[in-house]
Amino acid sequence: MKDLARLALDTAASRGASYADVRAIEFTREDIQVKNGEVGGLDLSDSAGLGVRVLVGGAWGFSATDDLTKAGVERCAAEAVAIGRASASLAHEDVRLAPEPAHRAVWSSTCAIDPFGVPLERKLDLLFRIDAEMRAVRGVKNAESFLSFQRRRQYYLSTEGSDIEQILTRSGGGFSSTAVSSDDVQRRSFPQAEGFHQSLGYEFIESIPFVENARRIAEESVALLTAPQCPPGDHDIILEGSQLALQIHESVGHPTELDRVLGMEANYAGTSFLTLEKKGKLAFGSTIVNLVADATLPHGLATFGFDDDGVEAQRWPIVRDGLFEGYLTSRELAHHVGDGRSRGCVRSDGWHHIPMIRMVNLSLMPGKGSLDDLLADSDGAILMETNRSWSIDQLRYNFQFKTELAWEIKKGKRARLLKNPTYQGITTQFWNSCDFVCGPEEWKPWGVTNCGKGQPGQVAEITHGAAPARFRKVRVGAGYEG
Amino acid sequence: MMRREEAKALLDRVVLAARGQEVEVMLGGGSDALTRFANNEITQNVSEHRYVLSVRILQGKKTGRATGNDLSETGISKLMERAANATRFSPEIQELLPLPGPQTYRDVDAFDHETAELGADARAREVGKAVARCREAGLEAAGIYEVRTGTIGDYGEVGPFAIANSRGLFAYHAGTSAEFLVSALEGTASGWAGFESHRANGVDGGALSARAVEKAVRAREPKSWEPGRYTVVLEPAAVADLIQDMSWISFGALLVQEGRSFLSGKIGQRVMGENITLRDDPYHPLHRGSPFDAEGMPTLSTTIIERGLARSAVYDRQTAAKEGRESTGHGLPVPNTYGPMARHLVLEGGDGGVDDLIRKVDRGLLVTRVWYTNVVDPMSVTLSGMTRDGLFAIEKGKVTHAVRNFRFNQSVVQMLNHVEAKSSVESSGGVVTPGLLVRDFHMSSGTEF
Repeated sequence: MKDLARLALDTAASRGASYADVRAIEFTREDIQVKNGEVGGLDLSDSAGLGVRVLVGGAWGFSATDDLTKAGVERCAAEAVAIGRASASLAHEDVRLAPEPAHRAVWSSTCAIDPFGVPLERKLDLLFRIDAEMRAVRGVKNAESFLSFQRRRQYYLSTEGSDIEQILTRSGGGFSSTAVSSDDVQRRSFPQAEGFHQSLGYEFIESIPFVENARRIAEESVALLTAPQCPPGDHDIILEGSQLALQIHESVGHPTELDRVLGMEANYAGTSFLTLEKKGKLAFGSTIVNLVADATLPHGLATFGFDDDGVEAQRWPIVRDGLFEGYLTSRELAHHVGDGRSRGCVRSDGWHHIPMIRMVNLSLMPGKGSLDDLLADSDGAILMETNRSWSIDQLRYNFQFKTELAWEIKKGKRARLLKNPTYQGITTQFWNSCDFVCGPEEWKPWGVTNCGKGQPGQVAEITHGAAPARFRKVRVGAGYEG
Repeated sequence: MMRREEAKALLDRVVLAARGQEVEVMLGGGSDALTRFANNEITQNVSEHRYVLSVRILQGKKTGRATGNDLSETGISKLMERAANATRFSPEIQELLPLPGPQTYRDVDAFDHETAELGADARAREVGKAVARCREAGLEAAGIYEVRTGTIGDYGEVGPFAIANSRGLFAYHAGTSAEFLVSALEGTASGWAGFESHRANGVDGGALSARAVEKAVRAREPKSWEPGRYTVVLEPAAVADLIQDMSWISFGALLVQEGRSFLSGKIGQRVMGENITLRDDPYHPLHRGSPFDAEGMPTLSTTIIERGLARSAVYDRQTAAKEGRESTGHGLPVPNTYGPMARHLVLEGGDGGVDDLIRKVDRGLLVTRVWYTNVVDPMSVTLSGMTRDGLFAIEKGKVTHAVRNFRFNQSVVQMLNHVEAKSSVESSGGVVTPGLLVRDFHMSSGTEF
């Protein structure tokens, strides 16, 4: 593969590219699902190909192919150059790449137990045990569980001399129980909606108490059918970590992507309210709100040695003591915020797609106190757990989320179980209402594995660490007011 | 894109490599070229060419799948070995059906050679026209011109364009598509227009851009309206988004059988207004979709709602077998946990355009399109989302001024009980739909622009 990548690079350069990089990737994936006592899906997939990105006449061109013959690779590189020429016919200024040293490196994520070496029977045995626990609960309509593993071996070569090999392995899994009545469908998931994933091997799966939690989760799904509706009104709410992770993703991560800020996503994902003049000035949140972007976070889903611009992984503040400070940047756009170097946020979801700005791991830093401390201080608040629905406007102001369940907090304890909790707000008002973030003992690296962006659409995976936090006087129940 | 004969030869080789085992093979992919523009210049410009081969082996009630993109003899051999291993270690699936035999399919004329050959220079010229219209108006253009052959989806997912199995089934469908979307922007004011077809020669970047510009200019200085229930005119792009979301959580037979759809227990009953007829129809001239599903079964034009009455879900072989009926040809790759899915929705329209709907409104809102819709409540099909790229006041039959965007929380079933008029249909977001005049649409909160 590396030889083919070199061939593509040389072809692009010889045909007139002033800059080129090539990512040659071998991708392997295993997906196993069990539903109601039967295998619901079992697929072992792999793909190999390469993508050639070029600058010609100061404009980008990109082509990707899985024809890994000499002729196929040369054709791909030639097409990238031709596309770059077409781009240059409608470009204002030449693309300027922020400087980055040429890196020659090999980087690998941690993987103690190769998930692809673990026998299928062992994986299925785990899923069937989870499944049996859930289906032992009367009233469960659908018991669904899954495991998912992927490995990406990537060679990155650039005309600037970078030569980087990276091997990223990630493992994940989860389960959900669905209960149904004549007019209601309730779901509970564990450990979070869409499963829990990290850049680790099978040891990650073995560390999660899936089976131990299956019966409780199933019971909660059934109990939700007869639980009272979450009461509408302005309430203090407490978000558990995985819901807060998605809140961070949607209302902090996306609006800080510099390509959005500069209008490059305007037709699809939208732009951002975090316009350039707000950097260093906007009170994004209360003074206890600290958000950090970190591509070096151990085992994160967006943890790497180098991004797809060939920039070394970094860690930097996005919001410090409530003040908005930083963007997610690329070599192409860093100069728009006065940075001499990219923050290294460029990734693609495969050899077939062009690299673009994607979120790196972005976490809310822990505060002080346990969840019990927070509950003891929150009489009348509503604790919301596990995402079920999400939506936010194209500038990232108005959001609305629904969680799978909520608890009414009375005298420091979970009192009534509540169904259909929704909350809605405006991003900066919401983060400024944050007055309690639990401490490191409650902090977990939750994840998002279905982040869509770009045209053609790409799917990114990101870790968002969070501990439960409280937000004052938030509008609850809007989703059901209609 | 691989021609029928090439695809047949490849799939025959794969079936042969199974050495007598029961095997199903799917081939998908093709090419996807997309020119992306923003701030009045081309910002990304890409092309991808790839195929995906997926092999499923059956041994009695056991089955396993392997998927790859190495089409060489070695690649096929490895794929077969991995599928066999997966099958060997897989437990039995009691409801697993044997492979179907040969089927007959309708011809769908969906491949346009001119579109398949359209290159980056031609795309750039069309984008140039769109940019010029925006620039003349002092606005910024952003959008895409995308041309595809084959079955690469919006997020890179790949469906089959050819299927074969060891019982002699062979299916092939070639298609092209062209899509041009443009936003015209001035600060937070924006307008939008789009066009999609199987033929690129219908794309007119300049005209689309002119429509987007007209909306963007009108969108300046929006006024705030209070949240509440309004009479709305939903343009086809807005309706398409809502109908598509409804489909994903409602129309598959497995959802209905499991009691998770608003159609559960309601087949034969009135669920929407008498002016609503909705079907899944790949043969509609604005769809020209695949005439078979991922099991190789012929896709039937299926009426889901007829004059407000719930008529039928869409079926795959497994859900059909449970009810002792035939598949409607809406299956996904087997096995799966999702069940069948409607993929070519057609909401029956009326006469006239969106302007005719606007003339009927005394006081209400014109919604250009909606954004980031998601399900709040599956049984009532309540969705939440935002209005986008042009929300306008309608007063006494005329568009009078821009309105700040709203978040809505609205049951789509209820909405389709409140339709007062329909325009003629167009294709938007993969749905053939009219614009709708709807009363009592619930706008639940405002935003900052």
